[in-house]
Amino acid sequence: MPYPSPLLRRAVLLVAVTLAASACSSIDSPGGGESAAPDNRPLRAGGELRVALANEPDLLDPTLARTLVGRTVFNAICEKLYDLDAKLNIVPQLASAAPEISADGKTVTVKIRQGLKFADGTTMDAAAVKTSLDRHRTLKGSARTSELSSVDRVDVVDQSTVAIQLKAPFAPLAAVLADRAGMILSPAAVTAQGDKFATNPVCIGPFKFSSRIAQDRIEVVKDPNYYNAGNVKLDKVTYRIIADSSTRFNNLRSGDVEVLDTVAATDVDALQADANLRLVTSQSLGYQGITLNLGNVNGVGNAPGQLAAPYASALSSDARVRRAFSMSLDRDAINRVVFRGQFAPACGPISPDSPLSSEAAQACPKHDPAGAKALLGQAGVATPVRATMIIGTDAQARRLGEAIQAQAREGGFELALQPTEFSASLDQTDQGKYQMFQIGWSGRVDPDGNIANFLKTKGAQNAAGYSNPEMDRLIDEARATTDQAKRRELYGQIVKLEQEDAPLIYLYRQKNLLGLSSKVGGVQMYGDGILRFGEAGFFA
Amino acid sequence: MWRYVLRRLIESAVTLVLVTIVVFIGVRALPGDPARALAAEESDPETIAAIRAEYGLDQPIPVQYVRYVGKAVQGDLGTSARTRLSVTETIGHALPVTLQLATFAIVVAVLIGVGAGVVAAVRRRTASEWVANSVALLGLSIPNFWFGLMAVLIFAVAYPILPASGFVSVFDNPVESFRHLLMPAIVLGSGLAAVIMRQTRSAMLEALSADYVRTARAKGLGGTQVVLGHALRNSLIVVTTIVGLQLGLLISGAVVTEQIFVLPGFGKLTIDAVFTRDYPMIQGVVLVTATAYIGINLLVDLLYSVIDPRIRVGGRVT
Repeated sequence: MPYPSPLLRRAVLLVAVTLAASACSSIDSPGGGESAAPDNRPLRAGGELRVALANEPDLLDPTLARTLVGRTVFNAICEKLYDLDAKLNIVPQLASAAPEISADGKTVTVKIRQGLKFADGTTMDAAAVKTSLDRHRTLKGSARTSELSSVDRVDVVDQSTVAIQLKAPFAPLAAVLADRAGMILSPAAVTAQGDKFATNPVCIGPFKFSSRIAQDRIEVVKDPNYYNAGNVKLDKVTYRIIADSSTRFNNLRSGDVEVLDTVAATDVDALQADANLRLVTSQSLGYQGITLNLGNVNGVGNAPGQLAAPYASALSSDARVRRAFSMSLDRDAINRVVFRGQFAPACGPISPDSPLSSEAAQACPKHDPAGAKALLGQAGVATPVRATMIIGTDAQARRLGEAIQAQAREGGFELALQPTEFSASLDQTDQGKYQMFQIGWSGRVDPDGNIANFLKTKGAQNAAGYSNPEMDRLIDEARATTDQAKRRELYGQIVKLEQEDAPLIYLYRQKNLLGLSSKVGGVQMYGDGILRFGEAGFFA
Repeated sequence: MWRYVLRRLIESAVTLVLVTIVVFIGVRALPGDPARALAAEESDPETIAAIRAEYGLDQPIPVQYVRYVGKAVQGDLGTSARTRLSVTETIGHALPVTLQLATFAIVVAVLIGVGAGVVAAVRRRTASEWVANSVALLGLSIPNFWFGLMAVLIFAVAYPILPASGFVSVFDNPVESFRHLLMPAIVLGSGLAAVIMRQTRSAMLEALSADYVRTARAKGLGGTQVVLGHALRNSLIVVTTIVGLQLGLLISGAVVTEQIFVLPGFGKLTIDAVFTRDYPMIQGVVLVTATAYIGINLLVDLLYSVIDPRIRVGGRVT
């Protein structure tokens, strides 16, 4: 396929290279993941790092994998065309340069690094990249299909170049290729293992897969074939799955693990008080909030309609009532009371650390219970407005639910809480059998990943059954343009419109909280919450 | 005799089929769509539809059932929907963990329970009895999860002499296995130890006032010999029965203990499978458990019939 013609404008898709200055201010771990006082002592070679994960990763196949926690394991064994740096800029990883975009925005040319070897010793080239991208797009059961739905086809231009032809311009593509959809698999291993690739994944990474015992552990060992093997200190990383947060914390304190993924907010004080431990934090790219059922009558992803009893209420039919609900919430107090001030209040889907964030994107309705009641008066609804909210079953979910309940009461709402086991709650809300649902999203580096699926008409995760043609238009426009300033402005408008219609009421942004033994250094965690051990090791 | 054996075998087979049907339907009656649970964050309709097709969840339940049984009789319990690892292999990894834990817990419970029971009976109305009784009451009242967390805080965090979690097989490294299983076994065995202690104590009290003990004493046997050789030996029949009856309790208790000490056992496997709606895994776990129960029952029945020939004719015992 042709190179982009010299006449074509060469647009660099790197999100916010020019905006880096605005992006780095509030990351708690500047310079890549160490806590307040970076430890610059030298690291020794060798050793096994034991990592406690809160959940078990699902399939270790980048095409089929669906869980967030799996991305941490992939980070050790499967590198991507692009990666994030500490400031959330998109930087080349297996690609050799930023993607080049044709003037019509429909051809994205990716140059690939030469001479890199997969863990099985075979060489990575453009054909391998095409094989992987095609597999991500077309394999039965692929979880990458929708991320790559903008791709029409992938062409091998030469040994070190692929051209990705798009159906329509799609600015978030580089961000998508900086996640699982950009992981390149060994074609030899794909051929040999077929749909069993997950049992022995082979890609390029500082470590290679060694073994897995379901429900217990995943082991990866240093890969001598890795292009940067000389800088990899650890011999082995063992991921242990420890679901209970206090058990996880006790294992860190006792020295049975050196790294603890996701410290409970309630354990932060105890962790900081322990001289043998360190806390590393970064601002999450995701959010937690409340999804309201506006018109989900045919199931998520289908055309919305008119809600009927028992799910219809003033909340579903009148945006003013939803705004009143949002105004009755004191997000600061929620953060202080429920999460001991560890997290940050949020009123929109875009992380303040995102290079595409703006003042408009971070605007927040004021906490104003009196104003909320006045708004309910304007809407002409009888108070209290009654509603039921589905929440999780753990102690933290209950505390959060009760805080919302108490605050909403002051604004003229009578909220009933319905604790529901997680899988059951997803099923129920996908089908539209709910009024309000407390749920969050882990977050993606490009705001599109936090917005489109949730707010576009018939979006794959639009459980609200929300539909506004103006919102659809704004989202499509923000996707199509590669002009960062324009995108930033559009996302500001999107957030403003979202707050007017309020199908989702955002509450707070979690922090990624990582516990580390003070014997360990070089662990990096950025806003994406993924743990990076490529340069980690034990202090000499 | 053979007719009886044959009849029991057929009965067992029918029970097993019924169990598989109940499990199959029961799992599907759980609220929550497994395809949605497996889709996790990637919940677009195409992905969910693909998952449904892949695991045959779009087929009618009877079709799914026949397909499952067809494979199961060949020893293929399918692959985990979550990890794509073989269910048979995964269970093969988990089962020895729980068996070793349960065995160790029984040993601990018997040692503590019988010891304390004997002391309480022999040293009646002394401080020793009071202490033994109090410990038994505590053992019964303290929930496993709290006891487990406290044990970890004390012996792994504050005074790090034992590992907080993990499993090492006794066949790989007996010393490390002992260190890893000591706390879980004590925690799991504590409730059972309390029950055994109380039963031993009352059985011992009865035995110590029995005629044969008086006779033994009259013959001039020493105290230890009378207590251990005569009274305890007869009391152990009760203890053995109790241990048998409490086995179920032990296995269900293992679920909690395995979570606290992060032991990759059968209980943890079951819980995780249910929470992730991993149908193939849940079915495999229940099938193995049911087969084990039915198999043991069958064995016990057959043993009874060997011991007591009247049982063979069933129902016609006079």
